[in-house]
Amino acid sequence: MSRPISEEEYKKKLLNRVHLWIRGEADPYTDNIETKELHDNTPNEEVLERHQEDREQVIKDVFDTENNKFYKLFFRFYKVASVMCCVVLVTLLVITASYLPPKGDPTNPVNNEVAAKYIEDGMQDTGAVNIVTGMILDYRAFDTFGESNVLFVATCTVLILMRDDKKKAQKNTVEKKQYEPKADSILQQITAVLFPIIVIFGIYVILNGHLSPGGGFSGGAIIGAGLILYTNTYGFKKTQEFFTEKTYKWVSFCALSFYCLAKSYSFYTGAHHLESGIPLGTAGDIISSGLILPLNICVGMVVACTMYAFYTLFKKGGF
Amino acid sequence: MVIEWMQFLFGTGFLIFGMSVFVLELIGIFKFKYVLNRMHAAAIGDTFGLGMSLLGLMILSGFKFVTLKMGLVIFFLWMASPVSSHLIARLEVTTNEHIDDFCEQTKIADKEDESCKC
Repeated sequence: MSRPISEEEYKKKLLNRVHLWIRGEADPYTDNIETKELHDNTPNEEVLERHQEDREQVIKDVFDTENNKFYKLFFRFYKVASVMCCVVLVTLLVITASYLPPKGDPTNPVNNEVAAKYIEDGMQDTGAVNIVTGMILDYRAFDTFGESNVLFVATCTVLILMRDDKKKAQKNTVEKKQYEPKADSILQQITAVLFPIIVIFGIYVILNGHLSPGGGFSGGAIIGAGLILYTNTYGFKKTQEFFTEKTYKWVSFCALSFYCLAKSYSFYTGAHHLESGIPLGTAGDIISSGLILPLNICVGMVVACTMYAFYTLFKKGGF
Repeated sequence: MVIEWMQFLFGTGFLIFGMSVFVLELIGIFKFKYVLNRMHAAAIGDTFGLGMSLLGLMILSGFKFVTLKMGLVIFFLWMASPVSSHLIARLEVTTNEHIDDFCEQTKIADKEDESCKC
């Protein structure tokens, strides 16, 4: 049945077009979908020159290169110094890497008894059904404590950089209104239904951290997302009724210090082979596995507050 | 025996129907040219296709706790997805200067809200 067809006829066939599309020579959707034109981003010579001038001016003003001998010398040897720093760093790292054991050796430190121990004795030692939670909140609890502190420190840094303090706020009192979202009745009705569900789901994920997948970090992220939704719907004034800067400070402080004290106690007694007096309970119950549940709650509170604090700080520079 | 067969048939039927709705959604997204029309196609998949697929899965899984969870997923997504589409549409209406070229608007004066009939 097959008969030869001419080349022009072949070009119109679907097979040919699919072939072209696969080879990347023709895209069937170009010029077909509404898209915005891209801005021409090639920098203007004038603008570049002005930027260069500004930069030099800033360096001159900030470091006072004409009078300060040290900075004059520093800028002269800046490039040499940077190359030197890089070379030193590379040498250090390469020397360290040369001490690593060879690849694929079965006696490498990676294949030690730790992983097997976690899997075999995890449930007995920690009382948590979820091995991952048992690991991060019991065996390696100080690692998680460091992570929670990193979140707190990150918020503090953003607070320093983005905060709209009283002096600045006096200058632009007129623009305060632009932070408030446009009141949308559809969104408000739906949020009134969804916000409690989201928060309850977050609490469920946190409380079941030692029984099922989840835990403090994911549950806290869900609650933080709920708070952001609430702010976007009702505006900052409504949120400030229950969540201010003070709330953030006290919740983070209490959660982190409780975590620190509780885990210090448990590690102290563990290291000295003393009875800690914290019952593990029966594995599988909500209230079981000793310290894991309260620590999960602490981590969840810190994460939720951090999520919301990041959002508000980036949006309007304050709670 | 008959009930199991019925369960299988209805479950897979709903599932396949939902999947074909998703295919329609994809075709619509790439065929339409204007934002609001394309969003309409996407919303069909988000609500109707997803609902049908999850309904099929619910029938297949039988009467369990998982079924209730799937029902809650349908409830949540049917609440959240249309509202987010509504917000995108509102953004398009408020930011597009040449919206009159694409559709006629009716302005509601007292609510300061713009609705669009395409």
